[in-house]
Amino acid sequence: MSVWLALGAALAVALVVVVALPFLREPAPPSDSLHELTAAERERLEAQEARDRALAALKELEADHRAGRVSDEDYRSVIGVVRRDAADALRRLDRVEGARTGGAKSR
Amino acid sequence: MARSSSPARLVVALSVAAVLAVFLLYTSLAGGGTPSVAPSELKGKTGEVSLVGRVVGTPSGDPHGGGMRFTLEDIEGHQKERVTVIYKGSVPDLFRTGRDLVVTGTRQADGTFVTTPGSMITKCPSKYQAAESSA
Amino acid sequence: MADLGRAALLLTLGLSAYALVAGAAAAWLGRRRLAHSARNALYASFFSTLVASVVLVAGFVRDDFSLAYVAGHSSRDLPLQYKLSAFWGGQEGSLLLWLLVLTAYASLAIWFARRRAADLVVWVTPVLAGIGVAFTWLLVGVSSPFDTIAAPADGSGLNPSLQNPYMVIHPVFLYLGYVGLAVPFAFAMGALLSGRTDERWIVSTRRWTIVAWTALGIGQLLGAHWAYQEVGWGGYYAWDPVENAALMPWLVATAYLHSVMIQEKRGMLRVWNVTLVGLAFCLSLFGTFLTRSGIVSSIHSFTQSGIGPWFLAFVVNAVVFTTVMIWLRLPQLRTSAKLESLVSREAAFLYNNLLLVALCLTILWGTAWPIVSEAVRGEAVVVGRPYYDFFLRIFGLPLLLLMGIGPLIAWRRASLQGLARVFVWPAGVALATGLLLILLGAGSSIPGLIAYTFSAFVLATIVLEFARGTAARRALTGEPVPVAFGQLVGRNRRRYGGYVVHASIVLLAIGVAGSSAYDSVAEGRLTRGESLTVGDYTLTYRALTERDGANATEIRAVLDVRRGGDDLGTVAAGKNAYSAEQQVSNEVGIRSDLLTGEDLFVIAEQVRDDGAVFFRVFVKPLVNLIWLAGLVFVLGSLITLWPDAREERRLATRYARAGEPADRPAT
Repeated sequence: MSVWLALGAALAVALVVVVALPFLREPAPPSDSLHELTAAERERLEAQEARDRALAALKELEADHRAGRVSDEDYRSVIGVVRRDAADALRRLDRVEGARTGGAKSR
Repeated sequence: MARSSSPARLVVALSVAAVLAVFLLYTSLAGGGTPSVAPSELKGKTGEVSLVGRVVGTPSGDPHGGGMRFTLEDIEGHQKERVTVIYKGSVPDLFRTGRDLVVTGTRQADGTFVTTPGSMITKCPSKYQAAESSA
Repeated sequence: MADLGRAALLLTLGLSAYALVAGAAAAWLGRRRLAHSARNALYASFFSTLVASVVLVAGFVRDDFSLAYVAGHSSRDLPLQYKLSAFWGGQEGSLLLWLLVLTAYASLAIWFARRRAADLVVWVTPVLAGIGVAFTWLLVGVSSPFDTIAAPADGSGLNPSLQNPYMVIHPVFLYLGYVGLAVPFAFAMGALLSGRTDERWIVSTRRWTIVAWTALGIGQLLGAHWAYQEVGWGGYYAWDPVENAALMPWLVATAYLHSVMIQEKRGMLRVWNVTLVGLAFCLSLFGTFLTRSGIVSSIHSFTQSGIGPWFLAFVVNAVVFTTVMIWLRLPQLRTSAKLESLVSREAAFLYNNLLLVALCLTILWGTAWPIVSEAVRGEAVVVGRPYYDFFLRIFGLPLLLLMGIGPLIAWRRASLQGLARVFVWPAGVALATGLLLILLGAGSSIPGLIAYTFSAFVLATIVLEFARGTAARRALTGEPVPVAFGQLVGRNRRRYGGYVVHASIVLLAIGVAGSSAYDSVAEGRLTRGESLTVGDYTLTYRALTERDGANATEIRAVLDVRRGGDDLGTVAAGKNAYSAEQQVSNEVGIRSDLLTGEDLFVIAEQVRDDGAVFFRVFVKPLVNLIWLAGLVFVLGSLITLWPDAREERRLATRYARAGEPADRPAT
């Protein structure tokens, strides 16, 4: 029985070392704070998502129209909105990125 | 559907909810569903019920002939009331004296319980834990 | 041995508790090393759970009956594969498997997401650890698989109905499904906790959700096949609470897989998606509570232990936590995108979602009705098959139709004229099929006829989709047909994989409708030489055989089968008498016609001492399509899951800046 208990204890020690590893490896790091996205970075991320979404929508609409899934009149009625969305998303990303580099310059 | 920013969504959600509510009320209160009772609660019940109990004594008769007779009592509690059940149809593998089961049927004027053919469902004995597992 | 098992479980409890507390503190205070340490604790908890599991497996393999759990679920002459599957033959082992799968999923999901969504993972860790703590607590404090007893000479054996290859893998798939739903739940909650309500929680869990959903679907089909072959009442699904408990989260997960597409394409339905993910997870817990607490009666009754109230507490906690988190983050989840038209892809997906959730809620209502009616009227009322069948038709048939319509409607808005043009072919095929079926006599069941007409419609749209897509690609690139087809599927895996899954659901619908709406049955007591006719089959009872198997005596009645003038060979049905377990099980005889998918299903209900046998015989048309559907379903899921290098690159660029690893100094 004691063999198994000893094995259990050894397992416990090993796993505690694994858990403590980040502290053992860096006993005194210059910084211990988490990398947090700044408000600007988050806005950029969301702008990128919006751009990807809008461009994918445009691509899909073109493909659907080509494949005959979307009729000509439906295509005409929607394409304008989709193009405008895509343009908006691109402009938004430009603005966000511009603000970010601009901010960096002024620092 | 926490924020129904668009009226279309609200309409769809509400209409479906309404349809759903009607169906639920209809089927649950008016029709469908059989009350589930223990042998001690059977007296006075008319119409179809599910009888849940434990088999006591020795079953007799042929379920594929004139019908099998056996006795059920409450699984829990100290009620001494017992019900004689007349059953026809398939008998599950686990049926045996001492097992818990459910049968559907109606109580006759003479106090016996005549079942819907093939309605017997046995519950697993506690010795086994069937792992038709949901967790 | 038992000591090591207990120690390992205690370690798991300690590690998950640490991951929960330290992880939450690290996320709250923004401590990098502490967050990393909490993550390591989560990985370590997988390892210690693995050790505990190995100990239990060793106990079974070595017939160590000093473990109460082994003694209660195994015996010396049990074949090895069933000794291994006896691991999850009871409650304690099932919980251990739950925990093992949970810690494995948690470690893998965190490992893969740790760079791309570092700031999110910090918050996901304590959520996953919290779920782990709950389950480990049950294993340590309430229902331990490592309780010891004075070893009996032999164990009491495994329930014969579990001694079946299906029972070796069916529970595993179910767990992979149930527990896998914890991953999207944890990431969704992590996103809400951290306020990172961008799409990373969806991107990070997309594959895990599909894996869990596929496993849950396959697990249920395996269970149905098991019930069909082994339980032997002639059906495969009984609307039993335990079966419903698996179906409900699957339906909600299906709804989520569709609605999440609207969020990815249009940025809409963000609250709804988080709600669905929470609902799916809570339902998997609630199903466990229902079946483990013994509060509703089920064919599959489990040992009723003190575990029920704990699960109720988990469910309540999960529901409250999810609701509060969604409520708190409502402002961040707001979007500007709106539903523009009631005739559009978005709207079709929305209808699909409402129907799936409505179906799920009616099943939940029916399953919980005995409890509700007991509380309200003082009398437990059980709703039966008619209730469920009614709602399956009411909600299921429109769903089937939508499966054909949804993928072909344009996003945003579509005109009715445009729709008519797109659907003229599928609708024509469907009408022609319907008329043909009426001529063939399928009008005997109206729901069956509708199901088949809709199925024809959906299959036609799917075929048309593949054809149109290939043609469009050929027009663009001039590739030969097979190349264009391969490229089409390879470049749009989620879309065309999805169509394959749709095709499998249609096969399922055809199989279910065929075997339930157009089956025939006959029964009677036969002595040797007598015959029974069912459908166009004639069965003649020839002989009764008896033989001693490994751990059971096998009695079989052999019947000659003839159809028309053809001799189709023999089919054998009978019973096995298990010695160690002192139990008898029905062994049905099934003759499958691979060409038509029809089964002849023979039950030997009663074998009398004089050799007369009472037979019950079913003819089930098309039932084999249900099992075929399972294979197609897996194929479709695999196509969808297969990694797409192009998409990975695109996502990598998008998240390059966002996902700086949390374990590196933040400069």
